[in-house]
Amino acid sequence: MSLQGEDGATVELADGIEHQVAMVMDLNKCIGCQTCTVACKKLWTEGGGREYMYWNNVETKPGRGYPRDWEEKGGGFASAEQAGQEDVHGEREVGELPSEEDWGRPWEFNHGEIFYDGSDESLRPQGEPPEWGPNWDEDQGAGEYPNSYYFYLPRICNHCTHPSCAEACPRKALYKREEDGIVLVDQERCRGYRYCVEGCPYNKVHFNVLKKKSEKCIFCYPRKEAEGPDDEVRPPACASECPPQLRLVGFLDDEDGPIYKLVEEYGVALRLHPEFHTQPNVYYVPPFAPPQHTEDGETVDVDRIPRPYLEELFGEDVHDALDTIERHRDRVRRGEDSELMDLLTTQDLARQYRLEAFE
Amino acid sequence: MTAGRDRRSVATALAALVLLTAAAVAPALVGARPANEVPVTDLPEAGDSLSNPTADAWGQTPAKEIALASAPSSAPNANDTSIEAVSVRAARTDGRLAVRLRWADPTRDTNFTGNQSATPHVNSFGDAAAIQLPTNASANPGIAMGSAQTPVNVWYWSGPTAGQELIAGGPGTSTMVNQQVSTSATYRDGHWYVTFVRNESIQTANRTDFTANEDVQVAFAVWNGSNAERAGQKAVSEWQYFPFGPGPQGPPYEAILWAVAGLALVVVIVATVIGIRRT
Repeated sequence: MSLQGEDGATVELADGIEHQVAMVMDLNKCIGCQTCTVACKKLWTEGGGREYMYWNNVETKPGRGYPRDWEEKGGGFASAEQAGQEDVHGEREVGELPSEEDWGRPWEFNHGEIFYDGSDESLRPQGEPPEWGPNWDEDQGAGEYPNSYYFYLPRICNHCTHPSCAEACPRKALYKREEDGIVLVDQERCRGYRYCVEGCPYNKVHFNVLKKKSEKCIFCYPRKEAEGPDDEVRPPACASECPPQLRLVGFLDDEDGPIYKLVEEYGVALRLHPEFHTQPNVYYVPPFAPPQHTEDGETVDVDRIPRPYLEELFGEDVHDALDTIERHRDRVRRGEDSELMDLLTTQDLARQYRLEAFE
Repeated sequence: MTAGRDRRSVATALAALVLLTAAAVAPALVGARPANEVPVTDLPEAGDSLSNPTADAWGQTPAKEIALASAPSSAPNANDTSIEAVSVRAARTDGRLAVRLRWADPTRDTNFTGNQSATPHVNSFGDAAAIQLPTNASANPGIAMGSAQTPVNVWYWSGPTAGQELIAGGPGTSTMVNQQVSTSATYRDGHWYVTFVRNESIQTANRTDFTANEDVQVAFAVWNGSNAERAGQKAVSEWQYFPFGPGPQGPPYEAILWAVAGLALVVVIVATVIGIRRT
C-alpha cells in the first residue's frame, strides 16, 4: 500500500497495516552513554533467560557490533521484488545463527566479595576470562592518528515494512500489528525454531533459552498505549531516557510528524543497510565529523569518515542526505530559517514525539 | 532307458508338486507381515514397566525397522537430515498402548538451560522424536502434518522439553494441547530409547482412539539436534499402520492367488522339461 503525500512523496506501508510507527535517530548526537541500552534492559530484559539480550544496543562503527559481525551473517531478501512477494518462504536468504560467543556471555562480577566481604581483589568478570562481549571494540573505530574516526550506532528492531523474521517463521508466530506495524512474536505460537533469529539480517531477534521462545523489541507498545501508572502516552524508553535526546518518534505516514518530514520530505534520515530489502522503519541521520588534519594539525578539506564507508551502511542516498544537511546548516549560519534544522534541534517534546496523531 | 526316463518324469512331477504346495502354504507358515505393519504385542503382565524405555518387557516384542528420509518441507536445509532409520516396538497392556522408538545418534542433545546466568546455548537444538496419527483413526491424512480436513495427533518428545501432545492441520499449524501421553527417554551407547504411553481409549475430541477395531495409520519422525534439525527439517517415515483391525492376515482369496501362481510355475517348469527332453 502506498500513500501519496501533498508534496508528492509516497510512503510505502505493509499490506494490511493502517499506520506505521517509526523512529529517527540522529547519529550526530549520540555520545555512546548506553542510557538507552540500560533503560531498555531494566524494563524488558533483566533476567529469566534474557541476561545476554540487548533489544537496544549501541555499538561503535566501524566495528564488529552486537552480535559480532552481524552484518555478515545473512538474512533478509535478495531483492526488493522478493521482499514484496506475498509468500517467499523457502526462497529467502537464509542467515546464520549467531553463537553464544558472538552475542557475548553475561559476565558475573565479584561485587559481593568486594563490597560486602572486604576483599581487596579488583572488580572483574568471574569465570573464564572473556574473549568477546557487546562493545568489546568500543571506541576503537578505524583510521590512523590524527585522522582516526568512529561514531556510535544505536540499534533496536527496525519493525520493518517487509520483516524477513516473520517471513522466515514457518508457523507465522511473528506478525506486524495492524494498527501500527509493530513486529511482535506471538509467544503462544513460537516453538523456538529460531528461523526468525537467522532470518533477521539485523540480528534483532533473540532466543530465550529458559522459555525456549524468541523475544524481541516491542517498541515499548504498552508505553505507546498509555498503560503506565499515569495513563500517559509515552515514547519508547530508549527514546525518552536518551540524555542528548537523539531520537524522534512518530508515524511514517503522519505528514505533519517529524518522521515523514525527515525521511520523505528532506530525505536526510536513511535506512541502515537498505540492501537487505526489509525496509526498516528506524532511520538514521548520518554522522558528520570534523575534516581530516595534516600531521602538523592543519585542517584539510577531506572527510574524516570516508564517504564509501557511510555509503556501505546507508546506501547511495547518504550523499544527498549529507549535502542537504550541510546546505541547511549554512542557511542557519547565514541567519536564515530552516525547518529541517529546527526539527533536528527541537526541544519541544510534542514535535519530537508524535504518537497520538491518529487517535 | 525307458525306465530311466519314467523315473525322471516321476521325479519332475514330484518336484513340481512340492513347489506348488510350498508356494501356496509357505507364506502363511512363516507369518510374513505386510511391509508397513507395525506389530503390536499383547503384554498383559508388563504393566507400568513399558514406560521404562529399556525394560526387559520390550524384549518380548518384535522390532520393526523403519527407514527414514528427509521430510518434504519448505524449511531451510530440509534435505539435510542425519537419522536414517528408527526401530519401533509396540505393546498393549491394561488398556494402554506403549510405543518405543530406538535410533542411533552419536550426540546427546538435551538440556541447554544450565545455570540461569551462564552462557545460554542460543544456537543449540535438542534431539527429538514424534509419532503422528490421524485424529480420526479411520482417516487417511497427508503425511506432512495432515490438513485442515484431516488433522493429525502428534505425540512429541524432545530432550529440552520432554513430552508434548500436539494437534496439527497442515505444516506450521501444530498446536499444543492438554497432554495425555506420557513419555520417557534413555540415552545409552549412542542410542536414544524413547517410550510413549497412552490409554487406547480416549474421550477427548481430536485425539486418536485405538478401540474402534480398525487398523490405525502411524508415521514417525526423528530430529538430530546437533545437526540443527527442527521444524520441517526432520527425518520421517512413510505411513505405517498398527494392525488393530479384524483378521484375516490377508485377503480371503490370498490362497487361491498363491495356488494359481504356483500352478503357473509348475506348468512352465514341466513344459520346459518336456521341451528339453524332446530335443
